[in-house]
Amino acid sequence: MTPWLLVLPTVLAAGLGVAVRRDDRWAGALAVTGTGVTLLLALVAWISQSGTVVGHLPSLPLGDLEVPLTLATDPVRLAVAAVVALVATAVQAYSTWYLAADDRYGQFAATVSLFTAAMLLVVVSSDLVLTVVGWEVMGWCSYLLIGHWSRRPAARRAALKAFLVTRVADIGFVLGLVGLAAGARSTDLGAVVRAWDRPTACIDAAVVSGSSLGDALGACGAPDATLRAVLLVLVVIGVLGKSAQVPFQDWLADAMEGPTPASALIHAATMVAAGTVVLAGLFPLLADSPSARWVLGLAASVTMLLAAVLAFAQSDLKRMLAWSTVSQVAIMLGAVAAAPDGAGPDAGLLHLWSHALFKSLLFLAVGWAAVAAGGTAATALRGSAAAAPVLRAAFLVGFLSLAGVPLVVGGVSKEHVLATAWDGAVAGDGPGIVVLVVLVLTSAVTAAYSTRGYLVLTAHVRQRPTAGGVTPAASAVLWVLTVLVVFGGLVLLTGTFAVGEVSLLWLLLTVLVVGLGVAVALRGGFDRDPAEVLARRLTPHADRGLGVDAVYRRLVARPVVRLARVVAFLDTEVVDAYVRGTAVATRAAGWTGVRLHRGERPSAGVGLVLAAVVVLGLVGVLAWS
Amino acid sequence: MTSLVSVDAVVLAPALAPVLGVVLVLVGDAVRPGRSRWALPLAGVVLVAGALVALRGSLGSELEPLRTLCLPAPDGACLWTAGPRTSTLQAAVLLASAAALALLHDGRAGRRDTAVTATLLLASATGGVAVAAARDLGSWLVALELATVPVVALVALRGTRSAAHGALSLLVTSLASFALLVLGAALWLTATADATFSSEAVAAAWADPDRRRVLVLAVTLLVAGLGFKLSLVPFHAWTPQAYAAADLGTTLFLAAASKVSAVAALLVVVSALVGAAPGPAVAVLLGLPAVASLLLGTVVALRQDDPVRLLAWSTIAQAGWVVVPLTAVSATGLRAAAAYVVTYAAATTVALAVVARTGARTLAGTRGLLRRDPLAGGALGLALLVLAGLPPGVIGLVVKVLALSAPVAAGVWPVAAAGVVAVVLGLAVYLRWVAVLLARPEPADGPGEEAGDTAHGRSTRVVVVAGTVVLVLVSALPQLLVGGLS
Repeated sequence: MTPWLLVLPTVLAAGLGVAVRRDDRWAGALAVTGTGVTLLLALVAWISQSGTVVGHLPSLPLGDLEVPLTLATDPVRLAVAAVVALVATAVQAYSTWYLAADDRYGQFAATVSLFTAAMLLVVVSSDLVLTVVGWEVMGWCSYLLIGHWSRRPAARRAALKAFLVTRVADIGFVLGLVGLAAGARSTDLGAVVRAWDRPTACIDAAVVSGSSLGDALGACGAPDATLRAVLLVLVVIGVLGKSAQVPFQDWLADAMEGPTPASALIHAATMVAAGTVVLAGLFPLLADSPSARWVLGLAASVTMLLAAVLAFAQSDLKRMLAWSTVSQVAIMLGAVAAAPDGAGPDAGLLHLWSHALFKSLLFLAVGWAAVAAGGTAATALRGSAAAAPVLRAAFLVGFLSLAGVPLVVGGVSKEHVLATAWDGAVAGDGPGIVVLVVLVLTSAVTAAYSTRGYLVLTAHVRQRPTAGGVTPAASAVLWVLTVLVVFGGLVLLTGTFAVGEVSLLWLLLTVLVVGLGVAVALRGGFDRDPAEVLARRLTPHADRGLGVDAVYRRLVARPVVRLARVVAFLDTEVVDAYVRGTAVATRAAGWTGVRLHRGERPSAGVGLVLAAVVVLGLVGVLAWS
Repeated sequence: MTSLVSVDAVVLAPALAPVLGVVLVLVGDAVRPGRSRWALPLAGVVLVAGALVALRGSLGSELEPLRTLCLPAPDGACLWTAGPRTSTLQAAVLLASAAALALLHDGRAGRRDTAVTATLLLASATGGVAVAAARDLGSWLVALELATVPVVALVALRGTRSAAHGALSLLVTSLASFALLVLGAALWLTATADATFSSEAVAAAWADPDRRRVLVLAVTLLVAGLGFKLSLVPFHAWTPQAYAAADLGTTLFLAAASKVSAVAALLVVVSALVGAAPGPAVAVLLGLPAVASLLLGTVVALRQDDPVRLLAWSTIAQAGWVVVPLTAVSATGLRAAAAYVVTYAAATTVALAVVARTGARTLAGTRGLLRRDPLAGGALGLALLVLAGLPPGVIGLVVKVLALSAPVAAGVWPVAAAGVVAVVLGLAVYLRWVAVLLARPEPADGPGEEAGDTAHGRSTRVVVVAGTVVLVLVSALPQLLVGGLS
């Protein structure tokens, strides 16, 4: 099956969806069908396919640069594509209920389809051009989805902020990819990796046979390591922006202004996770470049812990989930950064896979609870899980998974990340040790805020909140996701993800750490919000994201505006002065000319003629006699 | 015919047609004096017929020109030689004269002097046609004066005080220029010892230092004399006054037909110099007035508020443009100059016809013309864009590029540089007016302008439409004009 089949249905659904956007029923049916077909195709391919399948388009003739426009599927990509399609299907089915009363539902559904198509393109892309295309389309779609309720100023601001922040980081992403492609004279992912990979075997053989390292590098035609590090760091900067990592972290929490299904899609399976997919494709190069790994590892480590702490202290549960996403994506990226050369990026991808399941479940469930409770603040949502039995089950399973309790899907993947970080720490040539230490700390904090979320949502309240008109589809979606979160860990049995064995020791350690976090969260008893007990003073700051917004304004916006003013001044007052000067001079010359011709008398004309003839004649005779 | 000189009436037809017209008008006026309403239409028909015959000649080849009035000795010397370039210029003269007639017809309906007007105009057109094909000094001089003198009378015919002043100015400078031309012709004859414009004689004269001095002086005087007819600075002073003083039909004749015939006369002189005289000498003699015209004409046009005066100063600048390619003294330069002057004549004809149609005496009078009168506004806009050299007036751009490429190829950089400056300044001149056309019309002046509009007649509209069609056609297919001259 050609990989293009995975992208096509959602693209069609997006195109047709725009055409039928006025009719909610058609738009909904089309959107669910598009993602559903993709899901089926991805599942079939995942089950039936063993090796790598490459799909070609006619390549672009671009002179020296080869642009083959290939897509490729292998089991890991298919697994990720399947989960993306699954989450998208869930989101589409859920939003037919959630946005039933929205007058712009059709646009929303079409945008979600396009967004999904873009993510699928990034997942199965084997060509940097297609990766950039998918990456950019996601940026645009996230702007549209976050700003869906564009009548609200906060939504507009959040959409603009998300767009600007990710776009600034994209400068690095595009520069990095262009540099890599230019060095390889091809945009094909395989060719790029081959061109920039360190020829380790050749170098080792040369060193063993007695030549110096420098000679060996030259003899084996090794690429410039410094340049490769710079380019990879540029790509990493782009990934940090799209994945809302430090220092770009602040846009994701504000993006909660978007409709909850859009948040579920952005957070669970698409945009923020896309960076992990791209870096996994470039993993062989990343593993060779310690500096890029350190940049990525340090940024991920800082983000991991910071976002977990901020999540704990949020007064708004939806924003808590947003910060938890930031933290969880940092765990994926940390796994990619810490993995030693031999291990591969699959631990990070496995965490992406499981995170997609439990985070979409949590978001969709919180969306339902918020409809029942009439708000997303922790105080409003208190006890709102009582609205439906499925919510209780969803929150229980979802928060267990988020906390990383063994055996549910989130626990399984987090243990593999821990094991990978341990391998990296032992190998000692990357940020493995830092990632490992921070990851253990983060696990405790994560367990604490998961406990908090569960306690708040399932607290006993006198009056049972209800959400009216919930369709069977929405609750079916939650049930399916709940079941998948419980049993999703079994994906390891398929052997799709190449991860090592996890020893019992790691299980014990995880249980200990999680238990510690839960115990801390329970210090105030079962009836009180742990954040009020433990982080009362931090909450106002955490709600503002530690004031990073103001820092952005001071460090980026204000200098840019000042620079723009200086440039505008130079343009209007200095450069334009010359232009205006020529205009003034021309008009003055014209005025002089008019004055000279005011006395239009025949004698004057004759005089002029004769004088001119004399001058011309003299010139001619003197010059050429 | 006679054994002395061969005469081919078909080849001479472009000049014979207006002569026939003169005869018919005069005879008709003698038979029924004072009732000559038909004179102008008759003249128009004759002119268009002559133009059609001339256009036939422009399809021929430059190597095998139409020739007649050939002398038995020296062998092959023909007094009338019309290649495609000459024929195209002749057709342009005749058509521009017809356009002028149309404007005169509308402007002076009911006047009694139509027979005189028609006669003068036909005579002048005959001179313009003949000078383009003349290859000997005698007929060249006579034809040139025939093209010039009737115009003085045409200007004076209006009868107003300012018209008399304009005519006087025109007459005085015309006489001065005639004196210069005659002197120049005499010196030319002295230097080359040949009464025809032939390259061989020029080359021989140039080889001898003594005769070269005389030849340079001769060229100087001829350029100066033609500079008057072309309105080159510093021989331009009469132009704005005469344009503004005469009625618009006469102005159109001065601006279009007269200019084309003057350029045709200049091309006769320069084509004798091509390949015979070294470039720099002629380049300076032609370049100085060209550069001065380009800059002064454009700059002063920028300050004008009267459409006719603006077009007068624009004529001065455009005359500079016509001479720019001639500074290269090459065959491509001759072609570029001919293409330029034909394009200029067509655009100016359209612009003046629209001015006549609207009756505007200030730029503000044409405010919002594009909305009030899309035909006139669109035609004027296109004509101004052609003069400025901006698309969609593509032909204006093409001939400007051709005009600049000749001196660039010959390495006459100062002239090319002045041309570039003039292009930029010219944009300001013409776009200033285009902006007025595009502006929203003022509601207050609407009815008044409409009342003024009713004065114009059908012939003017024909001129506007036909001129616009020509401009659109050659803008879409520039090779029609540029290819026809090669």
